Amino acid sequence: MSNDAVYDQAPWVKLYSPAQLALHQGQAKSSHHWHSIPEMLSESAAKYGAQKAFTTCMPNGMNGSLTYAQVDEMSTAFAHYLRAELGLQAGDRVAVQMPNCLSLPVAVMGVLKSGCILTSVNPLYKRREMKHQFCDAGVKAIIVCDMFTDKLQDILEQTPIKHVVVSSLAQWFPPVVRGVLKLVLKYWNQVIPKHQLSHHDMDQALNLGRQRQKEQNLNIKDYWQGLTRADTALLQYTGGTTGVAKGAVLSHGNLLGNVEQMDSLVQGHLLSGQETVLTALPLYHIFAFSVNLLEFWHQGAHNILVPSPRPIQNCQRAFDNYPISWMTGVNTLYNALLNEEWFTAFPPKHLKVALAGGAALHATVAERWEKAINCPLVEGYGLTESSPVLCFNPLTAPRPDCIGIPTPGTQMRLVDDQGQTVPLGQPGELIAKGVQIMQGYWQQPEETAHALRDGWLYTGDIAIMQPDGRLRLVDRKKDLILVSGFNVYPNEVEEAIAGLEQVQESAVVGVPDPLTGEQVQAYVVLREEGLDAATLIKHCKKELAAYKIPKKVVFVAELPKTPVGKVLRKDVRAMALGQSTAA
Amino acid sequence: MLSPFEESLLSIMMIIIMFGMGASLTFRDFRIAFKQPRAIAVGFSSQYALMPLIAFGLSWLLNLTPAQTVGMVLIGCMPGGTTSNIFAYFSRSLLSLSIMMTICSTLAAFVMVPLLMQLYTQGIDEALRIPPDQIARLLFALLIPTLIGIWLRRKNANIGAVVELTGGILGALVIIFLLATWVPRNWQLLLTTPWTVYIAVIMVGLIGFNFGYFFSRLLGLNPQKSRTVSLETGIQNGPLAALIVSLSFSGSVQQEILLIPVMYSLFIVLNSTAATFFYRKWTFREELARDQAKIEPASTGSPAP
Repeated sequence: MSNDAVYDQAPWVKLYSPAQLALHQGQAKSSHHWHSIPEMLSESAAKYGAQKAFTTCMPNGMNGSLTYAQVDEMSTAFAHYLRAELGLQAGDRVAVQMPNCLSLPVAVMGVLKSGCILTSVNPLYKRREMKHQFCDAGVKAIIVCDMFTDKLQDILEQTPIKHVVVSSLAQWFPPVVRGVLKLVLKYWNQVIPKHQLSHHDMDQALNLGRQRQKEQNLNIKDYWQGLTRADTALLQYTGGTTGVAKGAVLSHGNLLGNVEQMDSLVQGHLLSGQETVLTALPLYHIFAFSVNLLEFWHQGAHNILVPSPRPIQNCQRAFDNYPISWMTGVNTLYNALLNEEWFTAFPPKHLKVALAGGAALHATVAERWEKAINCPLVEGYGLTESSPVLCFNPLTAPRPDCIGIPTPGTQMRLVDDQGQTVPLGQPGELIAKGVQIMQGYWQQPEETAHALRDGWLYTGDIAIMQPDGRLRLVDRKKDLILVSGFNVYPNEVEEAIAGLEQVQESAVVGVPDPLTGEQVQAYVVLREEGLDAATLIKHCKKELAAYKIPKKVVFVAELPKTPVGKVLRKDVRAMALGQSTAA
Repeated sequence: MLSPFEESLLSIMMIIIMFGMGASLTFRDFRIAFKQPRAIAVGFSSQYALMPLIAFGLSWLLNLTPAQTVGMVLIGCMPGGTTSNIFAYFSRSLLSLSIMMTICSTLAAFVMVPLLMQLYTQGIDEALRIPPDQIARLLFALLIPTLIGIWLRRKNANIGAVVELTGGILGALVIIFLLATWVPRNWQLLLTTPWTVYIAVIMVGLIGFNFGYFFSRLLGLNPQKSRTVSLETGIQNGPLAALIVSLSFSGSVQQEILLIPVMYSLFIVLNSTAATFFYRKWTFREELARDQAKIEPASTGSPAP
């Protein structure tokens, strides 16, 4: 049997539940006949109307909530505002730049219902990054949180943006609380800058939308009835770690396909209309967007939005005041929670499953979680380009240190540099084909041709598949270091270094070496004094083969990171190159 | 020295503040505090073993008059004040631990204060008994609004948060108001007070902070708990001491002794504010560091991954 055939047989299907198997074989009971996301949104709104959909919970416990019916009505009004008031057309790009708060789902759903294309913007972006995204996507209107209007104002004229809607964290909180919260944000925290943007407030925008609807007797369905699964829903910018950000084009079908796949994963573990999900991850990120916003809206869950989970204490009131039964997080978030006494002394009683993704989940964190918190911490894997879920651990039998098996309906192979499939058990670049794979990068034919070949998404991640079909991630392909022809995976070296008590974190990179081609260098952040390079190298010698041992160790105060906290190895590498030429 | 208006303002302030602080607490916080009886025990001993000794030692070193010594030792023996809870709150220390310590030390004051006073001020003891109804009133003022606050927060998180914020702001405003009115009226008195008294009342709080912190660290409490114990140790119930003095003495003796608790209360506000800013920054830095700290493997002794 050829290597291709081994993977194409999908050895992991034995681990599927009957529902997952049915979806995989394309025989799922067709309960999901949606043509577009607005159809799915409306269906849930009708089903769960009076139930609470979103609650924003501030660090001091102040909160505001919206029901499914309210979000539905408001997002409809917002769609009318975009189309009838501002005169936007289907397919026009609208940006949403907000931390987690009540306005975000209203704005996002409004944009999708209007038939426009959504693009989520990281609120922590600097002016240059914002400008790039607005110009690249050709954004015509933006909904921005009042905390970031100063940045927008500075670059607005250099962008195609014509319309600005300003909202606030305190939007739709009860009146007195809203007033107090605004005062605190403005005068105590001083996070609300002054601005002279010509704009509408969120409430104004909704009222204008409602007015138009009444006067012109508009029907919201007219905006999206013609949409199909092939139409673009979202431009999700990514690639901060490789260079200039590019927009992954995700269609309604990509996102809905992923929702259906997630449905099959949680089936039997989740009670529709009765769950409470903690959203501490930012919704502008694809992980929280697809899982927390889309999937849990579809399931009728009550979404608890935490505007900022740093410091992690900010989540305490959310756990105190709401019966959190599901949550999503990244390794750093779970790590931070486990360091909190209030969390571990009385772990949330109702918590059923904690989902991890975004970055590799450390084995120690998973292990501690299982012991301290009486619920599984389940790791999945995905990329912005795959809407995002590609792999998951079956909820009934999650395994630490593995990203699980491909989602139902996904084809997967591991290939070498020539694109040849590697034998099972060998490391290779993970490539995938499926309903959730993006259409391409926005106006980047070359990048698209590089990432998508014959319908296969080349993830750039190196993985190993075990005989039962479970996958283990090894490293990013582009971070691979070649020492005298031997592959060194930085992750492996970093893990070895992490075994030292004094080390907080490290980044391992390769720089050119006249003798060995490349040499391994380690950039290390210490959490306490008292470790020198010689001791570190001695420790590595015990753990690693000779060619993997760092040639040079540099102690630094901090490592360059992306806004979500991933270490930017390319910047570390630049640092290393700069230093080696200077030296 | 304290007008009746100022005294009632003090009690009202205490009630509002405790109400606000109750609103920031859950019963779970108390359960967590009780999970560490050690922290409470350490705080208790630093309060009743260290502080009287520090106060007595300072009086002896600075060669204070017998009347001033009585005032100093009384300050040293006092239970923790509600002021310590406010500062614990503002410095992001463990409020629940602070309140538990205040409650425990106030309850124990029935026995401990007369006992310690007897020990340190032998000869003047008879006149310095602590009036039990005064303590009962304080406990009442402390507990009832706190419980209402806790209940309110359970009932409605929004009202709880607003009350919490209002309590904190009002508390600070009343303290500023009291200082602003008391200092100008007693200007003359402040000018004629000997420098040794200034040193004594300022140092007793500062030394208390330091000893409280290092004592707790020595006994293995983590930095945040140690900071809480530190504040709780250094900040004594000054107004209670003032009340006791004014009830137990009269005439010029009363004036002389009363000077100590009043001056202490004045300076402890300044001292604690400085300590609070310092601790607050420290706590925030720690919170961020904890976010990033790596956790230990679940099973001790397992090899590194």
